[in-house]
Amino acid sequence: MAHNVRPSGYSKFAKKQTYTRRMGTKKNRAQMLLSERGGGLSLLILVILVLPLFLANNYHYDVVVNIGINAIVVVGLNLLIGHAGQISLGHAGFFGLGAYVSAVLTARYGVHGLVALPVGALGVGILAYAIARPVLRLSGHYLAMATLGVGLIIHIVISREAWLTGGPDGMYVPPLEVMGVAVYGGPVWYWIVAGALILAVWLSLNVIDSPVGRALRGLNGSEVAAQAAGVDTTRYKVMVFVLSAVMAAVAGSLAAHFSEFVSPTKASFLQSILFVTMVVLGGMASTFGAVLGAVMLTLLPQVLADFADYEQVILGLIMMAVMIALPKGLVPTLTALVKRWVRRAGS
Amino acid sequence: MTLLRVEGVSIQFGGVQAIQDLDFVINPGTIHSIIGPNGAGKTTLLNMITGIYAPSTGAIYLDDVPITGRRPHDLARLGLARTFQNLQIMRTMTALDNVMVGRHLHLNRNLLSCLLRLPSVTRGDRQARKRCVELMESVGLGGYIDAEAGAMPYGALKRLEIARALAAEPKLLLLDEPAAGLNATETKEIDEVIVKVARSGVTVVLVEHDMKLVMGISDHILVLDYGRKLAEGTPEAVRANPAVVAAYLGAVG
Ligand SMILES: Nc1ncnc2c1ncn2[C@@H]1O[C@H](COP(=O)(O)OP(=O)(O)OP(=O)(O)O)[C@@H](O)[C@H]1O
Ligand SMILES: [Mg+2]
Repeated sequence: MAHNVRPSGYSKFAKKQTYTRRMGTKKNRAQMLLSERGGGLSLLILVILVLPLFLANNYHYDVVVNIGINAIVVVGLNLLIGHAGQISLGHAGFFGLGAYVSAVLTARYGVHGLVALPVGALGVGILAYAIARPVLRLSGHYLAMATLGVGLIIHIVISREAWLTGGPDGMYVPPLEVMGVAVYGGPVWYWIVAGALILAVWLSLNVIDSPVGRALRGLNGSEVAAQAAGVDTTRYKVMVFVLSAVMAAVAGSLAAHFSEFVSPTKASFLQSILFVTMVVLGGMASTFGAVLGAVMLTLLPQVLADFADYEQVILGLIMMAVMIALPKGLVPTLTALVKRWVRRAGS
Repeated sequence: MTLLRVEGVSIQFGGVQAIQDLDFVINPGTIHSIIGPNGAGKTTLLNMITGIYAPSTGAIYLDDVPITGRRPHDLARLGLARTFQNLQIMRTMTALDNVMVGRHLHLNRNLLSCLLRLPSVTRGDRQARKRCVELMESVGLGGYIDAEAGAMPYGALKRLEIARALAAEPKLLLLDEPAAGLNATETKEIDEVIVKVARSGVTVVLVEHDMKLVMGISDHILVLDYGRKLAEGTPEAVRANPAVVAAYLGAVG
């Protein structure tokens, strides 16, 4: 009996392979500026320093601060979605929970805002851990369903428990106090949120370029191969889920004190979808893509406010157009273009 | 002393008895090949040794410590590393980063240290990068250091898997058909890589269909057929075994 002794996939790869030339490991200055760690962070800081020159009124500050707050959430969510390849449809729930812990503790129990914030972060972290531990052993769809459920439950609880949260009407939040001085007003909050965003971006870039970041991308690329290399994949998925949830909670606390008001819409399913869309629009696995996604999707509704009823439709169309034209998202597509252009100019 | 001992191991998938009551040992410092026709259960055996499947009966020992049912990442910690028959490449990462993932267990992977980018992280990464580049060069991937893995040709990816497995500095390296789909020149190069690895003191388990490769470099061969041990011994003994000739080698010519 003639056994087939060739592996089944043989013929597919039988054609002759040619090896490409060495791609060059030395980075020139232009490439350095295009790297996230080199150029990206400096550019972000530059934009943050210059931007106030263009902010004329409270409304402007309001929009920009909200962009910064959303960006913090999205930078964290990008670690989960873009790098680890996991999905969460409930991050607005964590954001909302952070906001409400700050609101309730400061307004109802007189807890200091700077204490309430870490308490919210810690609480959300523990909740996220408890959810992630059983769910993340399963595949992506289960995670999507579970996080969706968690987000909805948080939203419902916040809306229903009016005695504590003010219900659908929301509740007033006292301003943050630092060393006895109340912090309020756009310009001050601008620098607070700017600092927090720079910190979030820096931490994110650090993780990405570390054994943890490679483990996350590794398990995304091939879970079995990552495991065989010693990566406890469940542990890492849980870790990044908790990290991103905590970042969302911190952003929520900041949002609560900045607006001096919280309402359940911040914790809604739609808001969760918006966060995910910001990640995808800006570009998966790109930290500055996450920031740009937050900028675009926070700004667009403001710009489109004139169209009233059609706002959502136009927003949807713009997003579809971007995703069809630039399926990898804004930042990865654009940097690839610029890199190609630099290479051509250099040679 | 034996490095790996497999005792009475069986596993079935639905009605298929993929491995049946298998016993064998692997001595340290050898190249131990596992051969057999398609569907004989070679990959399944590797998957059980590396913790992807748990055997339904029997036990596996590494250095006389029972490892049956341990998870793959735990076994990596104990010194197992492997490659995959159907490539398991992290395609959006660079070739070097794939190898760096293989180095995971040797690096500072504490979340807080990584978030703050402590010097121990950057120092470890820098040294690892150097070592990984050397490893890539040693398997003939010097030209692909910064290449995106997904854009590399099949033959290079086969070696990338070997480099990634070696980056863990394993004591037992399991290779699942490293030469499959390669042309004669490439097979020869893989052959040299395996011998070099074995000489450096790593015990190698080689699953391979290429008889010339297997007969040339193995110290010991285990022949599987329908999940059972058909024969075992030195290349000469296996080649001379009538059962093997009848069931398997005869078909090759
Ligand atoms: N996960 C699984 N589910 C069901 N059946 C499986 C599974 N894995 C392996 N099998 C079956 O077990 C038997 C042994 O398969 P295995 O892949 O181990 O063979 P192999 O010796 O590696 O073959 P090849 O030379 O083609 O790689 C086959 O009949 C296969 O169909
Ligand atoms: Mg196989």
